[in-house]
Amino acid sequence: MTVSEFLSETIGISHRWLLKTFRRPAFVFFALFQPIIWFLLFTQSFRAIADIPNFEQVTGTDNYLTFFSGAVVIQTVLTSSMQSGMGFVTDIETGYLDKMQVAPISRASILMGKLLADGVRIVIQTCVILVLAVALGVRFGSGPLGILVLLMLALAFGIAWAGISVFIALTTKDSEATLMIGVITTFPLLFLSTAVMPKELLPDVVQRIAVVNPISYIADALHALIITGLDWGLVARALVVILLVGFVSLGATTLLFRRAVTR
Amino acid sequence: MASGDADPIITVSKLRKVFNPDIVAVDDVSFSVTRGQIFGFLGPNGAGKTTTIRMLATLLQPSGGTMRIDGLDPVTDAAAVRRMIGYGAQDIGVDGDLTARENLRLMATFYHLPKREAIARTEELLTAVDLQQAADRPAMTYSGGMRRRLDLACALVPRPKVLFLDEPTTGLDPQNRTHMWDYVRGLNESGTTIFLTTQYMEEADKLAHQLCIIDMGRIVAEGTPKELKAAIGADVIQLRLPHEGLTEGRVALRAALAAVAGISDMSDYDEGVAVYAKDGPGKVAAIVRALDDAKIGFDGLNLSAPSLDDVFVKHTGRTLRVESVKPTGRTPWGGPRGPKRR
Repeated sequence: MTVSEFLSETIGISHRWLLKTFRRPAFVFFALFQPIIWFLLFTQSFRAIADIPNFEQVTGTDNYLTFFSGAVVIQTVLTSSMQSGMGFVTDIETGYLDKMQVAPISRASILMGKLLADGVRIVIQTCVILVLAVALGVRFGSGPLGILVLLMLALAFGIAWAGISVFIALTTKDSEATLMIGVITTFPLLFLSTAVMPKELLPDVVQRIAVVNPISYIADALHALIITGLDWGLVARALVVILLVGFVSLGATTLLFRRAVTR
Repeated sequence: MASGDADPIITVSKLRKVFNPDIVAVDDVSFSVTRGQIFGFLGPNGAGKTTTIRMLATLLQPSGGTMRIDGLDPVTDAAAVRRMIGYGAQDIGVDGDLTARENLRLMATFYHLPKREAIARTEELLTAVDLQQAADRPAMTYSGGMRRRLDLACALVPRPKVLFLDEPTTGLDPQNRTHMWDYVRGLNESGTTIFLTTQYMEEADKLAHQLCIIDMGRIVAEGTPKELKAAIGADVIQLRLPHEGLTEGRVALRAALAAVAGISDMSDYDEGVAVYAKDGPGKVAAIVRALDDAKIGFDGLNLSAPSLDDVFVKHTGRTLRVESVKPTGRTPWGGPRGPKRR
């Protein structure tokens, strides 16, 4: 197994998933319009948040759109990455996973190829949100470099989080279970974090949960990138959290994958 | 134990697979496959055919026994084995969203073919399985026969020394089945050893040079189709009895025929009794007369030279013609568990 073989396998598998994604018009529609829907829902329903007396003081902006841009990015990345495992369930059901496993390719490239394709999808979806935000008048506090950092964070976070979905998929081998567990966990994680409400405005109990919720650290970095500017300290903290999540989710998935292969 | 092969490419010895908790899918199976032959594994659903082929194809770890493919162990030398085998699964692992050309190109990537070779091989295989016309349509628009052909082509991308085909014609109409047989024969004539499983005796009879009959995880008979049929040594008269009172009917029938001269053997099968006699056509009248005298009615009589089904009946007491019910183990999530896709 050479590095170039590993790369060509991974790219080949990624290419397959991207072809599959973009060949399904309904899927493309939902992948692109879902962020838009979230954006509109959040910003319209929670419009009055900006009227809370010290909103500007704790968030750094008096514009609810600006604040919610980060929340919508997180929501979209979570939802999108939580679908990642579905592809594996289909591949198990159709026998395509067997086909790949009979071929002399690395097990890691089967996983990485899928995650890379999901990463590309997530970056595209994030770009849609950012363009929409700008169109609605949001000004990014961190400039072009900050946007780049934001996209990288979304990509890394998405891949790490997708590992969880793949783990669930390989364990349950069931697409409904994979999807439902994804949906059920996404909302509590989102609302028990600093993504949709600044920490200072959260009730005490929720604050305590938010502190140990990995989503909060990603959210803090994204909010800063959009509202105030490039805060390397927050970015570094978010990266550490992503690495931890990724290490656990991808590590467990890789182990499971090996076992699934040699069962 | 196979009949003195000069050059075996696959040898399997005392192979076992036990799924949790204690479902014995493959039980002490031994056989060898001669290089360059078509080797058939014939048995009903759930007999252990797919489990065996998946162990050979490196997809499943055996619980015991040894396997060698061209001297390599699918367990410890999985990577090397994967480079020289092709595998066509029972449930057709082609990607329906991709076109035939894309499916094949991706396979070429999996086998690390250089780009130019990958393109050439893809076109060559599209021609070989008659899919050039449809090459740029997503595979989900294909008929069952076309998908099978694409699957076969995918398995051929690496020019395998050994091709494993798990029930390659299940679900195909007779015309497509005949086509598939022609492809398999052609491949074999060009030097590929083929290991195929089937539940159709006709397929095993027409294609296989060497045959193992497997039932409930065990090999019950092996040899060339001709040898297996010759071993019965008699014509077969199947007497189908009414379903009601089948057990008593069998006893009465056996008693009534005990006095008929020239019957070499009788065996129960799931629909009645199979009677074996050297001169079958000459015995029918005597049999019918004996049954009539004993006032035993029967639903059907079928006289034939021995078929592989008779071989199966002789060894297992059941006919292959009836499909057994598929076992369905479900997980709490409703997904397939353990020995998936039998």
